[in-house]
Amino acid sequence: MTPRRRISQWSRRAGLCLGAAVMVLWSLAPIYWSFLTSITPPGGLVSSGLRLWPEAATTEHFAKLFGATSVSQGNEVQSVWPQFSAAFANSLITSGLATVVTVILAAFGAWAFVRLSFPGKNVIFIAVVATLAIPAYTVMIPLYRLMIAAGLIDTYAGVTLIYVSAFLPLALWLMRSVYQSMPLSLEEAAWLDGASKLRAFVQVVLPLAGPGLVACAILTFLSAWGQFMVPLVFSPTLATKPLTVLIPEFVTRNYVDYGLMNAAGMVAIVPPMILVLFLNRFLVQGLMAGAGK
Amino acid sequence: MAVLARFLPSREARLGLTLILPVALIMGGLVFLPLLATLIDSLFRIAPMKPGTPFVGLKNYADLMGDAKVTTAWVNTAAYVVMTVVIETVGGLAMALLLNAVTVGRRWLLAIMVLPWCLPPVVNAIIWMWIYNPAYGPLNGLLMTVGLIDGPQVWFNDRGTGLFLVSLVHAWRMMPLTAIILFAALQSIPAELYEAARLDGAGALKRLRQITLPLIAPGLTIALSQSTVFAVNLFDEAWVLNGVSMDTRSVIIQVYVTAFQNLKFSAGMALSVLAMVVSLAVSALYVLRVYRETRFE
Repeated sequence: MTPRRRISQWSRRAGLCLGAAVMVLWSLAPIYWSFLTSITPPGGLVSSGLRLWPEAATTEHFAKLFGATSVSQGNEVQSVWPQFSAAFANSLITSGLATVVTVILAAFGAWAFVRLSFPGKNVIFIAVVATLAIPAYTVMIPLYRLMIAAGLIDTYAGVTLIYVSAFLPLALWLMRSVYQSMPLSLEEAAWLDGASKLRAFVQVVLPLAGPGLVACAILTFLSAWGQFMVPLVFSPTLATKPLTVLIPEFVTRNYVDYGLMNAAGMVAIVPPMILVLFLNRFLVQGLMAGAGK
Repeated sequence: MAVLARFLPSREARLGLTLILPVALIMGGLVFLPLLATLIDSLFRIAPMKPGTPFVGLKNYADLMGDAKVTTAWVNTAAYVVMTVVIETVGGLAMALLLNAVTVGRRWLLAIMVLPWCLPPVVNAIIWMWIYNPAYGPLNGLLMTVGLIDGPQVWFNDRGTGLFLVSLVHAWRMMPLTAIILFAALQSIPAELYEAARLDGAGALKRLRQITLPLIAPGLTIALSQSTVFAVNLFDEAWVLNGVSMDTRSVIIQVYVTAFQNLKFSAGMALSVLAMVVSLAVSALYVLRVYRETRFE
């Protein structure tokens, strides 16, 4: 290797490292800053200047979230824990239900679209996938009246159904590409052994589709977890109100409690963080398959 | 029996229809019926505060044309589209090229990069709201340390700055999606092409212009159209950062305010139909491409 080539390779590597550092900083710095705020005492927030760690870290904002009683500016105020815990549970329940229902419907539906022939198949598939291009708010007003008429406003069933209708098209699209990439011969072998089509699917194909199903589940869960406008309309009370709607409400009329808001935000990003930490491979594969085709 | 069998669906068709039934019911009942209702109801006057629901034809649409707030909202949304699409595409391409070049620890770089997209938009907006805070936010601190500004700025006092800052938050969240789409496209380019170009003496910039960009053009189209559609639908970030302020009110916020705060349902529906038409027109390009490339057996 010539010295010149070596220098150019070394500078290329340095450039890549610099680029990677900038990207990591861009992605993580805002989140880190929010975390920092959530452990800084209210007095420390006022002092200007950038710090990488607060002078005296505190858990008081988290204590305010999780505590039975709460102190704000010297006055004892009502604890937010009952609201916060209810909203956290609501977020988990609605996102979880939406994920389970969407993945099950997509797992079976997409296979039917790929492997079975029945009347109206192509029309239905195109119509369903085309709804990806229809913005959610266009159907929201009639949906609101429909949900009121059906008595489903502010119920888990109502919110879950809306989420499923919003996330099913992408899930079907994803699962379809998963099944299409599997050789038909797998199923044919099971048919020869006398298994019915459905049975061959459940016993042979479904286990192999695991990674696709996981990707589908992650994408659906993350989308549902982050929803704001749908629950803003369909979850008016704490019966189903999720964290995303509750947290902005911490902006009280005369005082914005940034420590509390950031602490609540940090709790709200724990589930997505866990998914990214442990299942990022499936997530990225799913995104690439969903967006690239 | 044989005659009868011809009219009854086969076993396979029955199984297929059974599996599709829940999908069709949910999508039909919760998307297609409401969509039809939106289209029809936007031609009537439907407002809970007013008696009766008379047919008014295109009056709702005509009223929107003359409404100054609606016009402002469209201008704001147009500004969001331009700014977010430029930021996301330039930044996303840079990220994709970087990821494509990195070999060590790529999986974790990908995970870190995709993180902003995974967080709830509302939480992102709150994180940035605090960064933009006039009194304590690090944006003022940073710019003052560097010497770009003399004193703390109240960023949302200026409409242009406000629009840019909302766009930045949205772009921070959506950039990973563009990056991943472009990264997927980059991965499909054979390395030999670059090897050959390098032997021919083509520089890095020339390789980017003559090999990379043409070959990722399909991915770029998809990335551009999805970022445009998401920008047209921008709601969460502007809502959390600056509420209903006219300075940063997007078309979708205008829909929400019209329908659910002013309770003018049909006017909101008419505006949402217009926003949908814009979204559809943009994604038509994308959808057409997708269907051309997909064969239905």
